[in-house]
Amino acid sequence: MQQRIPLAICFIVGIVMIVQFFIPHRLSEQTFDLAVKWIRIITAFALVLGVRSITFRSIEKIKRQKKDWFYSIFTLLGLVITSVIGLGWGVKAGTPLRTIYNNIMVPLGATMFSILAYYMASAAYRAFRARTREATLLLIAAFIVMLGKVPLGTAISGKLPDLADWVLNVPNMAAKRAILFGVALGMIATSLKIILGIERGWLGGRRR
Amino acid sequence: MKIADLLGKIDRRIIFIVLTVVIVIPLISPIGFVGRLSPRVHDLFKAIDELKPSNKPLLISVDFDPQSMPELYPMLVSILRHSFARNVRVIVMGLWVTGVGLGEEALTTVGQEYQKEYGKDYVFLGWKPGVSAVVLGMGRSIKETFSTDYYGKPIDSFPMMAGVNNYRDIPLLVTLSAGDPGFNTVWLPYAQARFGVRVGTGVTAVSAADAYPYLQTGQLVGLIDGMKGASEYELLVEKAGYSEAFKPASQAMDSQSLAHLAIMILIVLGNVGYFLARRKK
Amino acid sequence: MAIATDLWIWVGALLTLFIFSFLFGDNPLYKIGEHVYVGVSVGYFISITWHNFLYPDLIVPLFRQGNLLYIIPTILGVLYFSIFFPKLSWLIRIPMGFVLGYGAGVSIPAVLQANIIKQIQGSLLSTQVLSRWDSILWYVVSLVGIVCTIIYFFFSRERKGISKPAAEAGIVFLMVGFGASFGYTVMARVSLLIGRLQFLLRDWLGIIK
Repeated sequence: MQQRIPLAICFIVGIVMIVQFFIPHRLSEQTFDLAVKWIRIITAFALVLGVRSITFRSIEKIKRQKKDWFYSIFTLLGLVITSVIGLGWGVKAGTPLRTIYNNIMVPLGATMFSILAYYMASAAYRAFRARTREATLLLIAAFIVMLGKVPLGTAISGKLPDLADWVLNVPNMAAKRAILFGVALGMIATSLKIILGIERGWLGGRRR
Repeated sequence: MKIADLLGKIDRRIIFIVLTVVIVIPLISPIGFVGRLSPRVHDLFKAIDELKPSNKPLLISVDFDPQSMPELYPMLVSILRHSFARNVRVIVMGLWVTGVGLGEEALTTVGQEYQKEYGKDYVFLGWKPGVSAVVLGMGRSIKETFSTDYYGKPIDSFPMMAGVNNYRDIPLLVTLSAGDPGFNTVWLPYAQARFGVRVGTGVTAVSAADAYPYLQTGQLVGLIDGMKGASEYELLVEKAGYSEAFKPASQAMDSQSLAHLAIMILIVLGNVGYFLARRKK
Repeated sequence: MAIATDLWIWVGALLTLFIFSFLFGDNPLYKIGEHVYVGVSVGYFISITWHNFLYPDLIVPLFRQGNLLYIIPTILGVLYFSIFFPKLSWLIRIPMGFVLGYGAGVSIPAVLQANIIKQIQGSLLSTQVLSRWDSILWYVVSLVGIVCTIIYFFFSRERKGISKPAAEAGIVFLMVGFGASFGYTVMARVSLLIGRLQFLLRDWLGIIK
């Protein structure tokens, strides 16, 4: 029962959602509307679960004084202060939450990704070697895009942006479309396996 | 031997310094490289330019967060300037919860710049959980999906939302997308393919190459690719006389060019060092 | 132009420097910045979820308007918390089954349409393609590229005869595609760095316009 009921729900909901797509009847549209509304509510609860998980993990780390536990205090402080401010004063422009967002969250988030530029430059220098024919091709295509897509490329030659556009529109498009076919077929196959109960990893525990 | 060693083992701190220098110097003292307009950026500009004030509103989805702000935020600001200058009404929403603040910031700033009135000229719907359920739900009814705006007011109460029921009433949707959920994982399969809404996109350069199959089929009406695309859009808006405001993406283009050149030179040096060392062996 | 006098700009600049300090190795300043970011992001998420969704779309319809239709998804959602009670933890599979069934069900026709049917249509010869000699040529090259790349990904059979050179041609297209992606990735990472340096030089130090 512990497995059959969830599998049956998954199967019925999955089949209903496929069928409603092909049958533009009022009943199928109403079912669709209802499912879409319900899903948003159910998803919100799953998100709450995620918040609980990160909060408890931080508390646990501090309690047990695990490695780097001290920093978890900052996570908790950030979480509590921001939520209290957000829940108490609202989320509009001009509220304290927006001040925190603009001056703490934005700089931290934006900088975290920006330092990747340094590591990418360093890694490209160290590892990007034209050892084989394939690697050389990759390198040439990368150089064409890197030059052709910035104003410097136009300054070097007016043909470079055209060449970059050709690389992107013809060989790149062909490769990406072929990958897209593979990914799409894979997604459809996995979705079917979930609906039909062949893929049961999400049930957790031992497979029967 | 020594040259091979030297070229093959440049300290990473030197690489960090070189990259910083080639970015900072052109920001302080601009070179003034002139780039060429990409047809894909122009296509999106044209699609927005063809919208009339009498049309139903343009829908913009802010599907990014602060982590990709330098690339996508200038696009958002330029598109808003373009729309407001042409008196095109705008609905803004987002699928990324941590990007909501950026959407509101841009909308209120540019709205004030063009003296636009909230509810009459623009509306901010904010964010709802559920991703595909939100996008699919809007195809049936925007009012059912976003019963209230970001500020908690019923969206029925806004004059510009009268007659805007679902995607049939949206002449163009622009998603500024930094990944998943984004243009290819959500908007194209659930909004474009299912409800036939016209979709244009602005993306981080990382995912720009993946957009080309959709451009070829016409599923995407246009593409702004990364900060370079944003700078082109800024210039288009300025050239058309819609805005004279500061252009952050355009300011960055000299640095962008030199940084690319520096990275290419580093890759070449690394290869020269490698092949010299290999020949020696 | 002058150095910023707004205290919050200084906070933003210092936090930016905290993260940049990682370039010198992992250190306490970076770790503080990283942990503050996680905490503040979760706090922001809680606030937006409450004001944008939980209150207007669940609390109001359920408790103020008495809309009973909301009870079922609420119960389903609450079942997620059964995971904290070992004896009842299997109940979490019910909302998961609903969500997975829904996700799988809606994605099949959507993916089929957007990523297969429309992409096949795009690969077909059109009158627009036939209007110019170069578009015919690039159309043929693209088609060869698509077919060869698909052949390359077909691992179920030994590559013999025509499939061998076709798969090799497929690799060529793939490498060019990956090269283009790499070029664009460099562009993206550099742009993000420029954005932060613009903030430091303009908003904080006032060196640039």
